[in-house]
Amino acid sequence: MRRDVPRSLRISQVGLRGVIGAGLTATHVLDFATAFGTFLESAGPVIIGRDPRASGVMIRHGVIAGLLACGHDVIDLGVVSTPIVQHAIRRLDASGGVSIGASHNSAEWNALKFFGPQGTYLSTAEAGELLDIYHLKKFHLVDWDRIGKLKTDSSALDLYLDELAGAFDFTALKRFKVVVDCCNGTSSLILRRMNERFGFSFILLNEKIEGVSFAHEPSTTERTVALQLAPLMRPLNADAGFLFDADSDRVAIATNEGVAVSEEMTLPVLADHQLSIGRGTLVITNLSTTALIDEVAGARGGKVVRVPVGRQAAMDALASFPAAEIAIAGEGTGAVMPPQFRFVYDGIAAMLSILTMLEERGRTLAELVAAYPRYSILKGQVPLISQRIPALLMDLQARYSDGVANVTDGLRVDWPGRWFHVRVSQTEPAVRIICEQRGQPPQALFDALVEHVRRFA
Amino acid sequence: MPREHLLKVGVSGVRGVVGEFLTPALACAIGQAFGAYVGGGRVVVGRDTRASGEMLQHAVTCGLLAAGCEVTDVGVLPTPTIQMFIPAARATGGLALTASHNPPEYNALKFFNARGLFFNNYERSELLDLWHQSEFRQATNEEIRAVRCDYDTPPRLHVERVLKHIDVERVRARRFRVALDAVNGAGSVLSCRFLRKSLNCDLHAIAVDPSQPFPRVAEPRPDTLGQLAELVRRERCEIGFAQDPDGDRLAVCDETGRVLDNDDVLALAADDVLERMPGDVVVNLTTSSVMDDVAAWYGCKVHRTPVVEANVVEKMQAVGAVFGGEGANGGIIFPAVHLCRDSYTAMAFLLDRMARTGATVSALLSRLPRYFRESDTLPFAHGRMGSVIQALEASFPDARADRSDGVKLMLAEGWIHVRPSNTEPLVRLSAEARTEEGLAVLCRRARHVLES
Repeated sequence: MRRDVPRSLRISQVGLRGVIGAGLTATHVLDFATAFGTFLESAGPVIIGRDPRASGVMIRHGVIAGLLACGHDVIDLGVVSTPIVQHAIRRLDASGGVSIGASHNSAEWNALKFFGPQGTYLSTAEAGELLDIYHLKKFHLVDWDRIGKLKTDSSALDLYLDELAGAFDFTALKRFKVVVDCCNGTSSLILRRMNERFGFSFILLNEKIEGVSFAHEPSTTERTVALQLAPLMRPLNADAGFLFDADSDRVAIATNEGVAVSEEMTLPVLADHQLSIGRGTLVITNLSTTALIDEVAGARGGKVVRVPVGRQAAMDALASFPAAEIAIAGEGTGAVMPPQFRFVYDGIAAMLSILTMLEERGRTLAELVAAYPRYSILKGQVPLISQRIPALLMDLQARYSDGVANVTDGLRVDWPGRWFHVRVSQTEPAVRIICEQRGQPPQALFDALVEHVRRFA
Repeated sequence: MPREHLLKVGVSGVRGVVGEFLTPALACAIGQAFGAYVGGGRVVVGRDTRASGEMLQHAVTCGLLAAGCEVTDVGVLPTPTIQMFIPAARATGGLALTASHNPPEYNALKFFNARGLFFNNYERSELLDLWHQSEFRQATNEEIRAVRCDYDTPPRLHVERVLKHIDVERVRARRFRVALDAVNGAGSVLSCRFLRKSLNCDLHAIAVDPSQPFPRVAEPRPDTLGQLAELVRRERCEIGFAQDPDGDRLAVCDETGRVLDNDDVLALAADDVLERMPGDVVVNLTTSSVMDDVAAWYGCKVHRTPVVEANVVEKMQAVGAVFGGEGANGGIIFPAVHLCRDSYTAMAFLLDRMARTGATVSALLSRLPRYFRESDTLPFAHGRMGSVIQALEASFPDARADRSDGVKLMLAEGWIHVRPSNTEPLVRLSAEARTEEGLAVLCRRARHVLES
């Protein structure tokens, strides 16, 4: 691959993602949607929804055309979160679903996420099959009289909230004063409705649904939380602050004292809660997630199962253990699968779980977070040169041979209280470098890794 | 092996059997090429009632948005209604998803320019070059525009335009008993409103549910309109109208339940128009000589073009014609309303003429000179057309020949037109003569050449 060719399209087992126009085009959308329509076997409708990006309108039309042409009826939920699409798939006995949106990426990006009839992400094998159909381009286009019909459904948000209301004690939780940075995304619609319908008092920042100019990148990093949300916590005398990505599957925290908390904290905090209840012992996460999860799980008698990064691998793992043994699943990105709804990474449900912890433990969010040992994580990325990856990984493994190596997804090396993970992204043409240490940031190790990877690139 | 044209990229757009051939990916790519060709701006998109229309409209819309166009969705409407809305909406162009009179498994993309006219040959080939090149303009997220819906303005505009050219009060006062067969097509809703509300007709309608499939062969011809004829007789209607699925063509049934030849409908409308505003007429080569007779009554000139509406429209523009059409296909083109084939203009003019003259349809028809006509199709390999033209001309040495679309041979007793089909591996044979015997002789001689 020549280095001067700008690359922003990534088609892989996790679906397709790219910068609209420069990388991801209408042609890709049509072909992928038609491939998905061919892949789905059952005759039920397909649920679609999108985040507020302007390009989502274009993609929506392409996805609808591809699915109708394969004979599927389509139920369009409009601008909704990804979890709302997933809930609707189960409720409506759909054959699958598509969520259009680039989650944490900036506005010029977009992506498609595909779901099976259980509302879950596809497994590795299913995703591989979908990709094969896409490449083969032999689609099952039906005859004119079997083409599907489009319907719209505006009840999905309320029915989703009904399900959350059944799983969480809204009456108790609505007493909290909560500030939320919606990043101009779908969480704004959900939380506004919770205020109206259930009397919550969410104070919303960047609540305008916006297609082109987001107030800032909708990512759940500590840095983004520190931009607008964290500084407002003390002046507003709020109990908790949360920030959601555009499609509301990820969440990050700001404490009542105005401290921006890493998105890595969301899973350990919720795992602690779930393990303390004593339902299940396994925590399923990926190789790039904070080591704090091991410490928290260890203290509660739990065990961490680490799988390669990507939701397909997590789906495989969830299916490979008895459901009763699984306590919780999640990622270091702030995406956590609530135990009540073990098919969906849901930022809103994760937020409600954290508020439930505050309620039950009678502590402030700052106290709750401070109870965990501090870990410092550094994340970076370097452009990808595919042919040099094997040599790079071998070289790194030799260089850091004093640690424990795991090569199931790139290279992860662990030392007591310290680890790094170097891997190839499935969503962007980049090598990701993640490095964490108990206590202070492992700056020297991180800098050395970045420098080393860069030399190979 | 016979070659079936299941996908045809041709003179009047891109047409094909939906599913394996006319795919959503193809529609999307053409949408994007169209968006690039018109250079962005607003594009009007509408469709007829075919089951595949919704799917294709989404695909085309996807492509147009990806090219940076703003899309105005006008929903299910007759093609002429969509066409005349394009300039009114200040759009840069428009697309209709309709295979007009073709069977339901077909659909097609029809292209219109900023004036709401069918793309001419040059515009169309430029568009196809862009599509073949496949290097489309790719809008960024910031450049992607919205889709707006406007289902009400286009039909209102269309009806206003048509009614300006007739004496509405005189027609309303007659409260005509009218039968209608809209083939459950794009005209279903508008035609009922137009005839009942605008023209105060006592309407007896069948096949006016746009959610249902076509109940008869989509092309409105004498042999496909048995139900309309029966309705006219049962309800003792003064006239019966039949539309095609996209509401541009019109067939007419008289008060006795006899379906008129489409050539005669065109001639009746020409009689009405030329009497009020004499001027040039443009018809295709296959249109009946009755048109020449009617034009001669008013001292008007008739121009002839190859078959296909776009050719007629192009010539009408060039000569500033006041009237045009394609005889056998039905439907009239009256540029003062819009330069397109329009069944609503035809309905209004016929009712207006009946109101003005007090005559029945059959009485109006009896004014026209009588011709005998035949048309047929023969399987044919298009590569042989040149030698067939030579052989036909040799066997009719006295005929005046016009080779602009296949060959038309004009003789004292009548004429023969043999041309390759635009859509299928067939030749179409049309012939007309003043007498039945003359017609039989002409056809026998032509078939003899074609079959040898």
